[in-house]
Amino acid sequence: MRIDRPKRKLEAVGLTPLIDMIFLLLLFFLLGSDFVRFSQSQLAPPRGTGGTDGMSQPAIISLAETGEVQWNGAGVTRAQMRERAAGLIETDAEQLFVVMPAAAAEVQQVVGVMDDLSAAGARAVTLERDVFDIDLADF
Amino acid sequence: MKINRPQRKFKSIDLLPLINVVFLLILFVLIAGRPTTDHPGEIEVAISRQETAYVAAPLSVRLGADDKFYLTGDAPKSLAEIAARVAETGVAEQGLAVELIADRRAHAAALMDFRQAMAKAGVGEIRIKTEFAAEQVNGK
Repeated sequence: MRIDRPKRKLEAVGLTPLIDMIFLLLLFFLLGSDFVRFSQSQLAPPRGTGGTDGMSQPAIISLAETGEVQWNGAGVTRAQMRERAAGLIETDAEQLFVVMPAAAAEVQQVVGVMDDLSAAGARAVTLERDVFDIDLADF
Repeated sequence: MKINRPQRKFKSIDLLPLINVVFLLILFVLIAGRPTTDHPGEIEVAISRQETAYVAAPLSVRLGADDKFYLTGDAPKSLAEIAARVAETGVAEQGLAVELIADRRAHAAALMDFRQAMAKAGVGEIRIKTEFAAEQVNGK
C-alpha cells in the first residue's frame, strides 16, 4: 500500500547568524594572535665539560659594553669577525667560539655576536666570563 | 500633480562572495598567526637575524630587565632555587636543555651567572629564546 506523505516545504536557511559567527571568529583571531616568529640561540656547554672540546684552539671573542669586538685580543669589526669565523669553520666544522661579554653588556649585544657567528656557520658557541670580570670568590 | 514613479525592484545581495572572502581571511589569520605571545613580566626577548626552529624546552627560566630570575610566578628566584628546580625535574640527568627567556635589556653579568649556575647543576645546553626579524635591505 502506498502512503502519501505530505510534502515538506524547504525553508531558506538564515544566513545572518552564520555571518555573525564568522565575523566574531575573525575578530577573535585578529585580536588574539600576533605575527611574532620566535627563534633561539644555542649555547654550547662550557669548556672543560667535554661537550664541544674540538681539535682546534677555541677562538676567544671579547665583547665590550660599547659593542666593540676583539678577536683573540685584537680589535675587529663585526664583518671581520664573521670572515675569520667562516675561515676557521672551513678547516674545522666543530670549531669552538668562546664569547666573553663585559658584565655591563646587554643580552641583545651578546645575541647579536652569537647571530654573526651562527651566520658564519658556527655550531659551537659558548659564553665565558671576561677575564677582567672574574670574581676570585668563585675559586 | 501626482507623478507615478516606476516601482524599484529589490534585488537580493549575493552573500556568497562575502562569505568566501571572510573564510579566506580566517584561514590566513589561522595559518600566519600564532597564539598570544606576551611573556609574563613584560619581557622583551632579544631580536635575532638568524632563524632557527624554535623548540620549547622542558624547563624555562625568565630573566627580566631588572637582572632577576623568575620561574613560573612573579616572585624572583635565586640561582640556588633554580638549580634545585633543575634537580627536581631531572633535566640535567636526562641531558635536556634549559630555555632562558631573557629580556634584551638584561645584562651579560646575569647571563654569565646563569651559565655558571647551570653548568654547576649539570645542564649542558642552554637555549636563549629570541624573536626573529629578517634583516632590512636598507637597515643595519
